[in-house]
Amino acid sequence: MDTSDSECFESADEDIQSDEELPKKVFNKDCQNLLKPNPNYELEASETLCDPRTEESKITRQNDASIKLEIAVKGDNESKNSNKASHSSSETEDICQVTSKINTINVIDDSKPVLSRKENVEGDLCNIKQVEQETVKKSRSCAKTKLGSKISKDTVKFEITPEKKKSKVVEKEKLHKTENNIISSVQIVENEKLKVDNDDQNLWDDEELDWGTETKLESDAKHNISKDNTEEYKFQPSPSSNTPQFNPHIGKKSENQSDNWGAWGSWGVSVLSTATQSVSSITSQLTNVIETGLGAADPEELARIDREEKRELKESLGKECEQDIPSEAPSVGFGLGNLVKLVENTGNKVISGGLDTLETIGKKTMEVLQEGDPGLKKKRAFLKIEQNKPVLSQILREAKERAENERNISEEVYMKKMKNYETLFDDHHGLVHLEALELLSKQCEIKLRNLQNSLNGEQYTEFLETMDQIKELCELPDEEEEDQISILEIREKLKKAVTEMNVQISYDKLMTNWEESEVWLNALNMNICDEKELHQQAIETLAQLTSLAMEQFHKIGELLLIKDRRSTADEADSLVQVTTTLTALIGIAAAKFSEKLNSKICESTNKEISGLITNVFFEAANSSSYIQDALQLLIPVLQVGAV
Amino acid sequence: MVEPIFDLQFRLILIGDSTVGKSCLLKCFTDGKFAELSDPTVGVDFFARLIEVDDGTRIKLQLWDTAGQERFRSITRSYYKNSVGALLVYDICNRASFDHIPVWMSEARRQIEPHRPVFVLVGCKVDLAENGGQREVPKEEAKLFAQKHGIFHVETSAKYGWSVEDAFRKVTEEIYNRVQSGEYKVEDGWDGIKTGFVRQKGLDINLVEAEPTKSSCC
Repeated sequence: MDTSDSECFESADEDIQSDEELPKKVFNKDCQNLLKPNPNYELEASETLCDPRTEESKITRQNDASIKLEIAVKGDNESKNSNKASHSSSETEDICQVTSKINTINVIDDSKPVLSRKENVEGDLCNIKQVEQETVKKSRSCAKTKLGSKISKDTVKFEITPEKKKSKVVEKEKLHKTENNIISSVQIVENEKLKVDNDDQNLWDDEELDWGTETKLESDAKHNISKDNTEEYKFQPSPSSNTPQFNPHIGKKSENQSDNWGAWGSWGVSVLSTATQSVSSITSQLTNVIETGLGAADPEELARIDREEKRELKESLGKECEQDIPSEAPSVGFGLGNLVKLVENTGNKVISGGLDTLETIGKKTMEVLQEGDPGLKKKRAFLKIEQNKPVLSQILREAKERAENERNISEEVYMKKMKNYETLFDDHHGLVHLEALELLSKQCEIKLRNLQNSLNGEQYTEFLETMDQIKELCELPDEEEEDQISILEIREKLKKAVTEMNVQISYDKLMTNWEESEVWLNALNMNICDEKELHQQAIETLAQLTSLAMEQFHKIGELLLIKDRRSTADEADSLVQVTTTLTALIGIAAAKFSEKLNSKICESTNKEISGLITNVFFEAANSSSYIQDALQLLIPVLQVGAV
Repeated sequence: MVEPIFDLQFRLILIGDSTVGKSCLLKCFTDGKFAELSDPTVGVDFFARLIEVDDGTRIKLQLWDTAGQERFRSITRSYYKNSVGALLVYDICNRASFDHIPVWMSEARRQIEPHRPVFVLVGCKVDLAENGGQREVPKEEAKLFAQKHGIFHVETSAKYGWSVEDAFRKVTEEIYNRVQSGEYKVEDGWDGIKTGFVRQKGLDINLVEAEPTKSSCC
């Protein structure tokens, strides 16, 4: 078996001639082949099956991971292939799992069936999961087959637009591995419109009948419809079943299928079964491709993708499929001749029937979705307005962007509400005290420099020595990991330091502030406290403590400057004490808040909370460095007192 | 507490003799409270409030409440520099405090140079005079002084909140006018005027909407 060329497909004769070649051809078919009125439909159909290109489907996951399924029908055209494709997909077992989360489905127009769906699987919100689970359950119950799409972090778009009139199916398939996008669009135009019973089962049965009587037409339709499957398969409007239908992924076909084909009559059974198998394999291939990761892509862009590329891909797929189904190959040729003729005759009817089916599916989908989504009508109305826009996918893309923007904004708003440390530090006048202290410090430096310039000789060196001595006095001891000193000890230490400095300040306010925070923390009901608020409180507390510390340092500076008798050594010693004690307090506060935050850690929030804890420690370090900076700023004040 | 979002920040300084009521004036303006007794200010204290001018611009006033005591004079002097406005505060029942105003004013002028600060002359404790106290500074005299120097004049009572808002609003609006006329600019190395947290257009609505859900737990 040689890999089929696209050209081969163009001529129906060729295809039919060799049984063996059929499967290959089936795989290799190009959409364009479909356009031609060849009897090759069967083959093409099989391909169609693998990919429901008839529809453009996009599922967009928005903030809430909602997926919009939009179904729009354009023109009076009817797409048959799409229906079939969806049938096939639904029939097959194990094929589809619904990975995607669909919260919303928008149908633009009932009368006109263009299914557009964009799937974006991203987050995993709980409600989405639930939806998924429900979906799976439903699909299982209504049919043994699992319907759904197995699309992960991919975007699959299918677009149907009316094209040429006169009953031919145009199918385009575009696979782009590099971009990881798959877009397929099938355009079907038909003059006739058939009325199809709403009942799904009936619908399918009708179709089967049509197929049988009129022709063995397009393999597409037949393909997908096996008796068993038909019976089992119901188009239930449950979101789960709907969703999967649009998805082109067909993993496997039920083993029974080949048997079922018998019901169709003698014609082309083997061909069909072969085709089915081929489709299955192709589908699985496609699925693999898709699963490897598809990024959302502009349908237009994708449309421009080289045909060559597509063919290459198909060829490769074809080859692979070949290997998969060697045993089936011999039976392929049976009844092909009949099929070809019949295809020509009944093409129109089949297609129209398929379109109606699609429409029905769409309507049912809408109904189901509307039940679950009261706001759907609004969205529908909204989308309807923009219907005139050239590309539906663009609307969807814009909607997605809008949703993302909204999410970003809401996050920003949240961040705005949550004041950062600097803002809080400013609010509590910590920053301005530090600034004022800086002014004092500068003033003292100027004084010292003037003094220094007026000195010379021995006085000058003496002066410098004094300056250095004071600097040394203010050096902080290496961080000896003191075992946690208690709040009481801290209070005592501060009091003692203030006394030694002999200035009228007090750290009572600061200590009271922390004690209140501690009381609040201890009384905190961890069950109802949000970790973000806890974090905010931690930052607030740190900022407040630091601000109060700044205020006291500032006051100390001012009071030292107006003090009558200075005792620089004591002052320096006391200030070092104050500094270390305050940084210790900051450490205690940070540890206490982190401990509380830590208790909130559970698996789902692990990363977030550890981020918050890191931030608390970061701001605590920030606080400590502010405090140590303040001490440095006080050095000139001390030096002024020493000369 | 000051809201985090403002467009501009003006730094104002309150100067004047000890016990004329600078701190009370500020407490009244920022907290709406009045304390009969309060400790003398040490060095400088800070207050802040947000004011919205006519065109909707939100201005944060950062208020430096200096100690009036003579012993802090050398210290407070170093704080003048970064102010864009100065409230010259005197006690209408204390003649000396009014007489010292020219000294305060020239001191502030000198320190704030090269910038030209906006002054407002604020007479405090009007309520004392109303309640039979001895007014030592006639309103007309103060007004004349203000006119002579081209500054505003307001008489206030922090106890009853009379004209307190007015005093600060006058300075703020005058500064804002000068900002708009280009006389005052945001400059590096001078903190008289700063830009604040700029509101993003379009975010405002969201902020307002989001507000109600703010305090849920804890």
